[in-house]
Amino acid sequence: MLSVDGLRKSFGPLAAVRDVGFRLERGRIAALLGENGAGKTTTLRMIVGLIDREAGTVNIEGSPVGYVAEHPAFVPWLDGLGLLRATARAFGLPPRRLEAGIESLCGRLRFDPGLLGRRPATYSSGNRRKYAYLQSLIIGPRLLVVDEPYTALDPPSIAGLREVFLSLRREGAAVLLSSHMLTEMSRVADDVIVLRRGRVAGRAELGDPRGRDRRAVPDLEDLFMTLCGRPDP
Amino acid sequence: MAAGLALPALLAWLGFRDSYETMAGAFLLLFPYVFLLGSRDAALDELDSGALENVLFLDGRFRTYLRQKVLCLTAATGAYALGLFILISLWGLAAGRFRPVMILQFVMGLLAGAYYAGAAAALGVFLRSGANVMALLVAQAGAAAALLASAAGRSGFIDNLTSGRFPDAASRLRLSALLAAFPNLIVLGSFFRGAPVVAAGLVLALLARRLRLRRLEVRR
Repeated sequence: MLSVDGLRKSFGPLAAVRDVGFRLERGRIAALLGENGAGKTTTLRMIVGLIDREAGTVNIEGSPVGYVAEHPAFVPWLDGLGLLRATARAFGLPPRRLEAGIESLCGRLRFDPGLLGRRPATYSSGNRRKYAYLQSLIIGPRLLVVDEPYTALDPPSIAGLREVFLSLRREGAAVLLSSHMLTEMSRVADDVIVLRRGRVAGRAELGDPRGRDRRAVPDLEDLFMTLCGRPDP
Repeated sequence: MAAGLALPALLAWLGFRDSYETMAGAFLLLFPYVFLLGSRDAALDELDSGALENVLFLDGRFRTYLRQKVLCLTAATGAYALGLFILISLWGLAAGRFRPVMILQFVMGLLAGAYYAGAAAALGVFLRSGANVMALLVAQAGAAAALLASAAGRSGFIDNLTSGRFPDAASRLRLSALLAAFPNLIVLGSFFRGAPVVAAGLVLALLARRLRLRRLEVRR
């Protein structure tokens, strides 16, 4: 589904990503972990084509690709519904599917559809984020890429979102999440990739997340601390 | 929007207060500025706002969007200018004062407007909204000051302008620089020959923007 190999990116003298490679199969959820500045966001942005890579390859089988930024912002001249309509047009989504999708997703994301008459810039940060999910999920992504999936969300919304990720997984889509929230990642992820200083420091396969015991959390924390506590490669 | 409303108001005032010729001349000289003001929205601001870090603009589509936005704005401004020109032409035809050369002058004005739009868009990938337009206006002020300084000399550039003769390479170079700052001069019959200079400037601006856009990335 997603194959990343030898990614590299520098910003001036700073080598943000030095050599990142991994695979994500369809019907799986991968958690991209790492300390602050490890290169997670840069890696995600290279994958979705918002920044250019200096080296390496990104192969994505299937489309469309959904993306939710950590701090979503939107074009200022459209209200929520107008932007969803523009998104639907851009991705060839028929109006009937758009309406059905809005109704279904608003419930699952706990997003008030009454807000769609206003411009997204006027929403609270939590609602902006839910709206960004709505915009990405409405197109039926085969790959969903999310930077810090739970930022600004309340616990019920986090629980709802967890179900959304798992349902995408059931439908055969792939989900790539970059996060520091090990507890949540341990509840949804099949695979874990740990970045450190722009390189893959380690990876682990957690297996099927459905009904996984929350005791898996200390294991993930141990893995993270072990890999990030190592001396530089 | 304000410029879009102010221009017809000014033209109507000139038409009723002075003459049709004054109004038509003012329109032909001033309407290219509407393109300039319409292009003040800068790519840099949109990139920095984070609005392009959106599912709509993945896989480099933000570059296509930025290109098409300038085209749409320029086309909309062109349609607005054409609407005004049709009204002015109808007024002139009704009064029996319309001159066919105005059509050529209007086309030259469109070229000047496109140059403004292209230059503002090219600067808009380096400067913030408004600063791109301001930079061009400051360049115009500088060119006007240089022109005044030239008038103080015994055989300055202003003599070349009034005579319409540019005998040496230096005077032709100065004319090119003046047209780069004041492209709307090409709507005046004596400067029609300057159209290739303005067209070349437009091509250069578009090339510069294209090159910069190719290397542009969404950042926060």
